[in-house]
Amino acid sequence: MSLAKPAMRGLLAKRLRFHLPIAFGLSLVAAAAFKFAVTEPRKQAYADFYKHYDSTKEFNAMREAGVFESVRPTGK
Amino acid sequence: MLSSDCLWSFSSTASVAARSYSHGKQETDEEFDARWVTYFSKPDIDAWELRKGMNTLIGYDLVPEPKILEAALRACRRLNDLASAIRILEAVKDKSGPHKEIYPYVLQELQPTLNELGIPTPEELGIDKA
Repeated sequence: MSLAKPAMRGLLAKRLRFHLPIAFGLSLVAAAAFKFAVTEPRKQAYADFYKHYDSTKEFNAMREAGVFESVRPTGK
Repeated sequence: MLSSDCLWSFSSTASVAARSYSHGKQETDEEFDARWVTYFSKPDIDAWELRKGMNTLIGYDLVPEPKILEAALRACRRLNDLASAIRILEAVKDKSGPHKEIYPYVLQELQPTLNELGIPTPEELGIDKA
């Protein structure tokens, strides 16, 4: 049984034509997944934290705890 | 990295990218094969030209046609270079990559030439396995 002639040209081109769009697509999906699973929740967490943040109150709490050198706790 | 010229050559039948012109007549597969058969058929081809030709040919996105390989093997015979002849067979198998049906087909087509020139295959020598 003699073998039939197989395709011998453009084998890499055929492979790339198939795999490169998939590779680009998967990369875009990976980037989108990271954006929506990590970046956006993180940004939201910061936004939520600072939405009702009272910097003066926090400063005074830190001052009373004695962590500053530039200002001493009140009293004493 | 991927120039528009390379994309054009993906959709054409010719796989040569020695010069990435998008103008100029595209060489047909038959013209390409004939050119390489002529190259290796030069009666006084020297060892450098044989190596250069094979290395250039291996760089293309194709497995060389049996008729090109036959001309190359005969050039090896003229140069008394059995090692290169066997190496050419190894290169064909390597170029085929995952397409395992190509190498047996090429060996089938080259069998008369291999017998005539007394060239053993890597498999017959047992050097195809590491």
